[in-house]
Amino acid sequence: MSGRKGVDEDLEVLTICGVGMGTSLIMRMTAEEVFKQLGIRAHVQATDVSSARGMHADMLIGQAMHTEEFMGRGPVVITVENFIDKNEMRAKILAGLEALGWQSA
Amino acid sequence: MAVSVEAGTRVTGRVNVHAADWAAAVRAATQLLVTSGAVSERYADRCVNIVREQGPYIVIAPGIALAHARPEDGAHALGLAAVCLAEPVRFGHQTNDPVDVVFAFSSPEPDAHVGLIASLARALADGLADRFRLAATDEAATLLLQGVINDEQQLR
Repeated sequence: MSGRKGVDEDLEVLTICGVGMGTSLIMRMTAEEVFKQLGIRAHVQATDVSSARGMHADMLIGQAMHTEEFMGRGPVVITVENFIDKNEMRAKILAGLEALGWQSA
Repeated sequence: MAVSVEAGTRVTGRVNVHAADWAAAVRAATQLLVTSGAVSERYADRCVNIVREQGPYIVIAPGIALAHARPEDGAHALGLAAVCLAEPVRFGHQTNDPVDVVFAFSSPEPDAHVGLIASLARALADGLADRFRLAATDEAATLLLQGVINDEQQLR
């Protein structure tokens, strides 16, 4: 890793759902708020599952039914079931960042 | 936001709605969008079918579902509707059942609704669903949704 993700360069994050324009957008809003609170640079895109298959990401956020197929394939996978709860998302994003080797200050 | 939510985002809220099952609940919410002219019947059908095809991913938090389809499925205008159910229904969601508040929204083209969704997400995180549950009349419920639209407009 040349630059540090989230610090020198954006963490590439995808929020995924079935249609790509409703629930994934809500997830994106919540995730962006969390990254801002954490002071982490992130480029968060909302998309649908089939598009996500062809996209590069450091982190994927979605419901279990959508994230299952992405497990162990590269990006850190965050499973959330409540899209508007910032606390749940923050806790899971932090756990995911640790998995990426992130050290919290 | 470059989009102007013209004197037209169709907003309708209903309380004490009876629905026998999750499909009836989604129909109740999407029917409000149809009646207000925001979407076609085909859009309303699509909202139900998406859940049948993909599973209950529209249950975005405990008790709350957000029905929607794509613009090309028959959305004519920006619309936001919500029903508070008299009896909760089960969508078969792993963690977020049962649902007693169903929102439905529509947007005529992909970028137009980002502002609306952002406003709705903020309002939901802020307790909109609980306020909705406490609304005693359809008028009060509709006013709550109008607040979401006004909030979106003020922030632009």
